[in-house]
Amino acid sequence: MASPENNMVEMAIARANVYGLLADVFRDEPSDALLSKLREPEISGALKALNLSLDDVFECTPQEQLVENLALEYTRIFIGPGSHISPHESMHTEARMGEPNALWGEQTVAVKKFMEGAGVTIADSFSGMPDHITAEFEFMQQLLLTECEAWKNGEKELGLNILKIQKRFYDEHLSQWVANFCNKVIKATEQPYFKQFTEVTKGFIELEKETLQELIDEAQEGDRLSA
Amino acid sequence: MKKLNRRNFMTLAGASGAVLAAGASNPKKARAIGGDVSFANGGRDFSPVTGKERKAIPTACWQCVTRDSMMGYVEDGRLKKLEGHPGSIRTLGKLCAKGQAGVNQVYFPDRILHPMKRVGKRGEHKWKRISWDEALDTIAAKLKPLRDAGTPELFMYQYGRHKASQAATMYDFMGAFGTGTIGNHTSVCEAGKWTGQESLWGGMYDNWDYDKTDFVVNFGSNQFETHTNHIPTSQRLIRAMVDRGVPLYTFDVRLSNTAAKSTEWVPIKPGHDGLVMLAMINVIMNEGLHRTDHFKYMRVTSDYHATTEQKVAGIKEQVAKFTPEFAESKSGVPASKIRDIARGFAKAKSACLVTYRGTVMHYHGADQERAAMLLAAITNNLDTPGGRVMGVGAGWKAPSTPKAKVHKSLHIKDGFPGEAAFPTHHVSHQVGPMIKDGHAGRPKVYWWSCYNPAFINGDNKEWSSILQDESIMPFLITSTITYDESSQYADIILPDVTYLERWDWEDMVSANQIAEFYIRQPLVKPLGESRCQGDVWPELAKRLGFELAYKDKKDFVRQSCEMTPGVKEAGGFDYMMKEGVWHDPNDKGNYGFYAKEVDVSGDGVILDKDTGVYWNHKKAGVGSDAKYLETKGAKNAYVAQNIDGKALSAYAPNTSFTKSGLLDFYSDNFKSKGLPPFPTYTPAPEHVAMGKDDMILTTYKVAVHSHSRTTHCKWLTEIKHDNPGWINTKTAAERGIKDGDAIKVKSHVGEITTTAYVTEGIVPGVIAISHHFGRQHSGIYGSGKSNPFDGGASADPDAKNMTWKKHGVHPNAVIPNSSDPISGTQRWMDTVVQVSKA
Repeated sequence: MASPENNMVEMAIARANVYGLLADVFRDEPSDALLSKLREPEISGALKALNLSLDDVFECTPQEQLVENLALEYTRIFIGPGSHISPHESMHTEARMGEPNALWGEQTVAVKKFMEGAGVTIADSFSGMPDHITAEFEFMQQLLLTECEAWKNGEKELGLNILKIQKRFYDEHLSQWVANFCNKVIKATEQPYFKQFTEVTKGFIELEKETLQELIDEAQEGDRLSA
Repeated sequence: MKKLNRRNFMTLAGASGAVLAAGASNPKKARAIGGDVSFANGGRDFSPVTGKERKAIPTACWQCVTRDSMMGYVEDGRLKKLEGHPGSIRTLGKLCAKGQAGVNQVYFPDRILHPMKRVGKRGEHKWKRISWDEALDTIAAKLKPLRDAGTPELFMYQYGRHKASQAATMYDFMGAFGTGTIGNHTSVCEAGKWTGQESLWGGMYDNWDYDKTDFVVNFGSNQFETHTNHIPTSQRLIRAMVDRGVPLYTFDVRLSNTAAKSTEWVPIKPGHDGLVMLAMINVIMNEGLHRTDHFKYMRVTSDYHATTEQKVAGIKEQVAKFTPEFAESKSGVPASKIRDIARGFAKAKSACLVTYRGTVMHYHGADQERAAMLLAAITNNLDTPGGRVMGVGAGWKAPSTPKAKVHKSLHIKDGFPGEAAFPTHHVSHQVGPMIKDGHAGRPKVYWWSCYNPAFINGDNKEWSSILQDESIMPFLITSTITYDESSQYADIILPDVTYLERWDWEDMVSANQIAEFYIRQPLVKPLGESRCQGDVWPELAKRLGFELAYKDKKDFVRQSCEMTPGVKEAGGFDYMMKEGVWHDPNDKGNYGFYAKEVDVSGDGVILDKDTGVYWNHKKAGVGSDAKYLETKGAKNAYVAQNIDGKALSAYAPNTSFTKSGLLDFYSDNFKSKGLPPFPTYTPAPEHVAMGKDDMILTTYKVAVHSHSRTTHCKWLTEIKHDNPGWINTKTAAERGIKDGDAIKVKSHVGEITTTAYVTEGIVPGVIAISHHFGRQHSGIYGSGKSNPFDGGASADPDAKNMTWKKHGVHPNAVIPNSSDPISGTQRWMDTVVQVSKA
């Protein structure tokens, strides 16, 4: 029988993987290698389980051309010039102090402080700002990997605390803008690749709300039983 | 798309993992996040209103002697918050309630902010604001003639909480001036504990190695609420109990919060801790549970060369009469309980034996501490991991000024003749009575700081009358932040800075045996005209015609940082200002120091065959045929102890006891003064003579107050502002007293009225009253009275929101100044009183 700690480890790894993959989806234009990997049965099977499929994408267009098309679409949707959907939180939420949406806005500062509170910063080599969707997802991935180690080491209090930190980051940031951002992308993109991964992103972020609460409840219950 | 649920999510997660593992998703990937996740336990703070980050400054607490390193957070020049320093190996980022309320020290409305001179009669509360120049000129005009006349000792300085650089700068000035008439406060604190330890260890200050221990027995220490090293030790003890299931047995007359959180509270009559320890030793020795590992460092009979077998026999003989049944008949602790705890203590892999005021503030309290050391030693829990170990603090180097050519002292620091045999930490509570007596001389100038003698000593009303009498105390100076029971009689009041506005280096003992160096730095600019004493000394020295080795306190701390090995290499003053704390990362902890082999081939080093001591007769200035114990000052020439043919560092005498390098459980020093040479049971004479209706008064501290320096802190006084007398249900019923009744507590020196707290949480025949309250003055929050100056309490809206009208009663008015004849420590826990319904 799986122990409660093993379940927590398993869930932390699973969530870290999804955050990691989605961080990559929004980080850059998809590479040739990624597209090849996506054609393998494992990922396509997972997408099929969600009634999603990239078959159309791959069937209609030679992969070399597809890489080029997706690069153009990534630029058009997320970078510009001109009208685009910036993948930064501060462009999608209303600032508390009533400031207009802007890059390096109030939410950017809040995310930066949050990350610094957990001992990490934005890497110099990263061109986005701290509230870039990739940075926020990668931050959650990092928290989850640390949480995973805590459970493995039997540090239950730390594991629970990191879950609570994730929930706070989710409540204060991810839940405030990612779904809204995804809706805009789904509406604007002409590429099934982005449409489908953005749908997955939206679905995942919505699922996270109940997942986080359940995991915290489980961890606290386990703590009570072992006390 | 289908809605994501736990099942299809796991499929997606598995696939995501496969993509990530292949590294295919992004070959030219630039990670967004740099560094690894690590959670600091604080160190930053943000305004809840503006969200802006506050300026974080590492500094150190001073609310009690623990002196936790901490972080101060400042916003717009105002101190907003105090928290533990996350980088401290002592405090591990924690700070107690008292520490966090330190903010109140800076901003309390009745704070003294300007120099003043008295213009009315003493106690008439008439004052005139003066300039610092006038204050220092006036003081210099009093002091200079004393120095010029070759009588510098007629200037007396007495302090309460001075430590580390605060003490070092003061002693430096006094040394340069020439007076050794410097009083402290340790006899009202725990002097007997240190005297007992020094007679054995040579030095003092025990630490308890909770990080490694398996069993803890606590006599009379309210460790979870308040303690001399509270935050570093209490959290480690809690962690040991919760994480490792370490049991804690607490012997106490009162169900303190520590006792309540213990595995078991063992009620015990006052003054009997040592007897129960001797009975535990009796059980352990007779049941063969002792461990002889440390016996080679012990001396238990007059024979310096006894074998282990002879030592075992010697201890058995000495404790034979202290059976558990005998101990039960005197202490009230069941014999079976003594046996059980003794066996658990002895059989544990490692064990801590804890004592504090409950044990030592008694008649022969120092001897009870010696019993505690013996119990630890016979179970190999003395100076071994997980046991009672000699603590370590930071060894700072500091600048020093040459001493004055004429350096003298009045002999008024160690009690009346014959009062105490070994007052190694002085008899501070008798300084006032001795000045009144006059036979040993009287100071012409008496200056006190961070001290409130008319409140904190026994028979405090007597102390008050001494301060008030100009014929006894002709000129009084105080450096203080608050107008209190003593400063009301001063001739000059100097506005001191709070500890949150000054520089210091600090050195309090670590709980993990690794020394931590840390500093205190100002969080805000001193309010008003308040000035640090470390800045005052150089100014005063100039007026007296000499220069000090530093220009101000900051300079003193700066020089110390650049002089101290380790700190200097880490980056000196700049490093300490930025980081606040430093320890040697290669330090493995202070264990086994006594077993270090010593080179005895040096010039003049000889072996004293009587004692087994290697000592340097040339350093002692005597011939090679001299005897170690018979040579004055020989302890300063100690080199090593011959143990099993090896020269080991052992337990060097480094205080006033001349002794060998062995743990003197048989003490020639004690014997020479007619005191029991081996730990024994000596009841307080007044307890033996108690009448049927007499009771014993004991005092204690609560978690949120220090003895006399926190009642003006509103956050703390809101929590605790009254101190009813704890009295057992049976004892109360015998006197017709019900819970909440007004009661009179009377002794031969006075009478007070308080309310009864009737409870099963105290042993019968005892009344316990905490000693923080009943303030005559202490600002609006502590006493309900505003200071007799303009402004003050009226400026603080919170003063109108005070929910409490009671301000407690001060038990010191009925407790005489009465000393342990061994150490001179004040016997707070021995007072015989009569309690009746008021």
